[in-house]
Amino acid sequence: MAEAKRFSRYTRNEKTFLRLGKNGLDAKNNGLPERKLVNEIQEGPKSFEEIRNVLKSDFNAAIANAKKNDWIQIEKGESSSKISLKGKALPSPEEKLIDFLGAEEKLLNDIEDIDALTLLKKRPDFITENFTKFKTISLSEKAKDIDVDSSTGAIDVEAKVPVTYVARIHPLKETINEIREIFVSLGFSEVLGNLAQPSFWNFDALFTPQDHPAREMQDTFYLKDMKASKFATSTQINQVSRSHKKGWRYDWNMSEAQRMALRTHTTCVTIKHLADNKPDESRIFSLGRVFRNEKVSYKHLAEFNQVEGVVIGKNVTLRDLMGLQEEFYRRIGLTKIKFWPTFFPYTEPSLQSMVYNDRLGKWIELFGMGIFRPEVTKPLGITKPVLAWGGGIERIAMLKYGLDDVREFYNNNLNWLRSATKCQ
Amino acid sequence: MPVVQLYLDRLQKLVGKKSNNNKILSKIPFLGLDIEEQTKEYLRVEYSPNRPDYATDFGIALGLQGLLGIKKGMPKLSIKKGNYSLKVDSSVQKIRPYVTSIVAKNGILDDETIQQLISLQEDLHFGIGRRRKKTSIGIHDLERIVFPIKYTTVTKNHKFVPLDSSNDSSITEILEKTEVGQQYGSILNNSSKVPIILDAAGNTISFPPIINSALTKVSTKTKNLLIEVTATEKNAAEDTLAVLATTLQAAGFQLFSVTISGANNSTPLLKPRKIILSAELVNNILGLNLSSSMIANSLRKCRIDAVAKTNKISCIIPRFRFDIFGPMDLVEEVVLGYGIENLKPSLPPSISVGQKNDITKVLDSLSLIMIGLGYTEALNSSLVSNKIQYELTNRSNSEVIQVVESKSLEHTILRDAIMPGLLENLSKNVHEQYPQKLFEIGTVFLKANPIREDTHLAGISAHKDTNFSEIKSILQSSLKIGFNIECETKTSSHPIFSEGRMANILVNNKIVGVLGEIDSKVIDNFKIRVPVTAFEIQLSGLIFD
Repeated sequence: MAEAKRFSRYTRNEKTFLRLGKNGLDAKNNGLPERKLVNEIQEGPKSFEEIRNVLKSDFNAAIANAKKNDWIQIEKGESSSKISLKGKALPSPEEKLIDFLGAEEKLLNDIEDIDALTLLKKRPDFITENFTKFKTISLSEKAKDIDVDSSTGAIDVEAKVPVTYVARIHPLKETINEIREIFVSLGFSEVLGNLAQPSFWNFDALFTPQDHPAREMQDTFYLKDMKASKFATSTQINQVSRSHKKGWRYDWNMSEAQRMALRTHTTCVTIKHLADNKPDESRIFSLGRVFRNEKVSYKHLAEFNQVEGVVIGKNVTLRDLMGLQEEFYRRIGLTKIKFWPTFFPYTEPSLQSMVYNDRLGKWIELFGMGIFRPEVTKPLGITKPVLAWGGGIERIAMLKYGLDDVREFYNNNLNWLRSATKCQ
Repeated sequence: MPVVQLYLDRLQKLVGKKSNNNKILSKIPFLGLDIEEQTKEYLRVEYSPNRPDYATDFGIALGLQGLLGIKKGMPKLSIKKGNYSLKVDSSVQKIRPYVTSIVAKNGILDDETIQQLISLQEDLHFGIGRRRKKTSIGIHDLERIVFPIKYTTVTKNHKFVPLDSSNDSSITEILEKTEVGQQYGSILNNSSKVPIILDAAGNTISFPPIINSALTKVSTKTKNLLIEVTATEKNAAEDTLAVLATTLQAAGFQLFSVTISGANNSTPLLKPRKIILSAELVNNILGLNLSSSMIANSLRKCRIDAVAKTNKISCIIPRFRFDIFGPMDLVEEVVLGYGIENLKPSLPPSISVGQKNDITKVLDSLSLIMIGLGYTEALNSSLVSNKIQYELTNRSNSEVIQVVESKSLEHTILRDAIMPGLLENLSKNVHEQYPQKLFEIGTVFLKANPIREDTHLAGISAHKDTNFSEIKSILQSSLKIGFNIECETKTSSHPIFSEGRMANILVNNKIVGVLGEIDSKVIDNFKIRVPVTAFEIQLSGLIFD
C-alpha cells in the first residue's frame, strides 16, 4: 500500500551463503588428498604402491591435483614409478579458500577467488549452499517529506495487514458435528460402539453368510490372532446360527464368528443395541470410523466415517424412511433428490438416494437405506420393523468443501486447514 | 460390484418391438442397475451380486420387458425330455458330491453372445459358486460328446488335453503348471482322487472345478450345448443351473433334460416355488393402501406370477430367483413393479427427543478448549504404519496389533498413541508458517483379551521458542478449565522425548499421560527444522468412564 503511494521503495534480493560440507570439513582438519600426498613424500620419493596403500581411494585425486598444482614429479622406473617433491609445495588456492571458510557460514559475495570455489564445488560434499530471499523496504524521498498529523495520531487505515490464522475444528469434523446435530434434532439419540468388533456383530448378526465374498480378507481388515471370547448371549448365538443354517444351508462355524475385525460399517453397533435393548419404539443413530481393506485412491479410503440412523416402531413404513431421508438432505442443503432400488444383504426392501450436485452437474449416489430383513431381526428377538439408513460422511463433506480427492481430509495440510471457509 | 456391457441395438431387439432406447434407458436404474458409463452404442452397468441373472443382456431384457409392460409374469422354462444321461459314481461323494446338467439346442452363438455367457459364468463362479468352491460350471459343445456320460473320480495320473492347449497333460501337471490349477487347485484339498466327467467313448469332458477339455470347446459355429454344474451343495447346483437355463432359453435355445442318477443325485426339475403374500404386510411396510390386484400386477411386472385373492396374493417364484427368501423380498418386488417414483415420502413425527452421547459432549467441550488455546484440530487414521508409529519415533512395542493382508503399506497396524501421527503432520507442513500447533482426539488400541480401546488427546507445538513450560501450561489449562482436574508432572524418561525434558502426567497419583520436548533425533527423523513439544493423555477414566 505504501509502495502504491510511492512512499516506500521495495526491492527483492537473494543472498547465497556457503559453508563447508562433510568432506570439506574433513579436509580443513586433515588436509586435502594432494596435501596428504605431499606430506608422505616430504622425507624422500616413494613408489606408487606405497602411496596408494596410505591414500587408498583418495590416491587418484591426490596425484591429479598435486600435478595440477605443480607440486610433484613422477619418475618412471623399470619396475615401478616413483613420486618425488618438485619444490616447496605452497598452499593452493583451494586450500586458502578452505581456510577462509573455516567452520563458519560465509556470504558468496565475500569470496574473492571464484575459480577456487568452482574447483571445490566439483568435489562431492565439500561445499553446501543456502539461499535466502529477502526484501528491503526503504522510505522514498516523497515519504521523507510527509508530516504525520501529530495532533490526531491518524494512520493509513487502508494499508494491508499481515494474515492472522485462527485455530479451528477440522473441516471434516465440522461436517460430522453438523450431521450429528441434524440427527439429534430429528429425535435420534447417539449410540457409541467399539471400532474392533467380533465378526458376529459385524456380519453374522446381519445375515451375511460366513463364506460370503464380502467377509474375505480382500475386503475386511481382520486383526491378527485375535478372537472374541464373550461377545453375545447364548440365545443370540444359537438363534443367529440357526437362521444362517436355514437361510443359507451351510454349517455355521463359531470360530469364524469370533474373529475380530475392524468394523466395516456402524450397523454392527446399532444392531447390537437393538438386540440387547429390544425397544418397541425408538430412534437411535451411530456415527464413527469404519474400515475397508481397499487400495487408497482419490475415491476410496481404508478408514472413513459413517453415520447410520435407525427407527424402530410398530407403524413405521418405507415412505417414512424416504421422508426422513428427504428431511435430512434438506437440512444439509441438498434439495434435489430421488430414490433408486439397490441391494444390501441385510435390508429388504432396499433403496439408495441419488442427489443432484450442481457443481459436478450430475446425480451422485449418497446414503443407502432399507428395512432390516426378518432373517436379521427375528433371531435377535426384534419384533417391530426397523428402518435404517446411512452412508459415508466424507462424500457429503467433499460436496460441501468442493473437494475431488477424499484423501485431502486426512492430509492435515495446514494451508488448507487454515484457509478452508468455515461456513459454506 | 460386477459390471455388464450392454449394446443398445442388441438390447432393444431382445426387449421387443414395442420398446425404444429412451424407454429402456429410463427404466435401467429401476431394475437396480447403476449406469457406470454411457455412449451412443453401449452402456456399462453395475448389477447387484444377488441378481446373477442380470449378468447378461438376455436377463436384463427379461426384466425390462416386465417393467415396460411388454411381457409380464414369470418367464417359464420349457424343458423337453432329452435322450441324454449322466451317471454318478459314489466315489465323488467325499470330494464334490453333486452334479446337475441340461442340454440347450438350436441356438446361435455370435461373439457377443459368447462374451455375455462367459461373463455370466464368471459371475456365478464368484458369487453363488464362492470362487468355484461351492459350484462350478462347464459349458460344452454337445456334438463332441458320446452319451451316456459319467461323473466319477480318477487318480492324478489321468491325462487329457485341457482347454486352450494342444497337448496331453496329467492332472498333476494341470494343478501345478496352469494358472487355473494354481488358483483353484486348493478346493480339492490335496485329495489323491479328483472329480472328472468322462463320456461313453472314454474321452474327458471336464475336470471340475478346474478346467474343461479342449475337445468340447465352444465356438461361434456351435449350435448345441451341454451345461454341467458340479457342487458341494445340491440346491446351489440347481440354483446355478436355473440361471443358466433361463438365460439360454432367453437367448433362443431349446432346453432338453439330462437324466441324472447315482449317489444321491437326481434329474433337476428347476420347479418354481409358491409363496403366499398378505396384502396387509405389503401395505404396512410400504405405507400404502394397495388392492390385492394392484399388488399382483406389480409383481407380474417383476416377472413373478401372481394371482390376487381377497387380502392375499398367491405368488409363483421362478427357480432362478433364489434371492427371494420370503414375503419381505416380495414386498420389494411390489415396490419395483409399482414404481419407486410413485411412492410419496412422508415425514413421521418423532415420539422421542434426541440427544448426543455423553462422551461425545465432553469430547466436544475439550475440542473447544484446545481451539481456544490456539491449537488446530488434525485428523489421522487409526490404522497406521510401523515406520511412523515406532521406527521414526524411536519407540518399540512387543504387543503391536496387526491387521491381516492390508492392501496399503501405510495401514498395517493399529495405533497405540496419537503423537506419532501429529509429528508426521508437522513433517508434511515444514514449508507452512510457524508457530504450528495441532491437537487430535481419537481412539488408540491395546492388547487385552482381546482388545481395549481408549480415547486419547494429544497436543503438539512447533516453533523456534517452544519449550517444556509452554506445553505443560497448555495441558494444565485444558484439564483445569475443562474439567477442574489438577495434574502433576513427575520426571521420567521416554524415547520420543529429550532426556531430562520429559515427565509423566499424574492425576490423583495415577499416571495418565506423558509430555515433554521431542528428542532432536526424532525431530530429525521427521525432517522438522524447529523445536517441538507435545503431550498425550488418556481421557477414558479421566473425563468419562
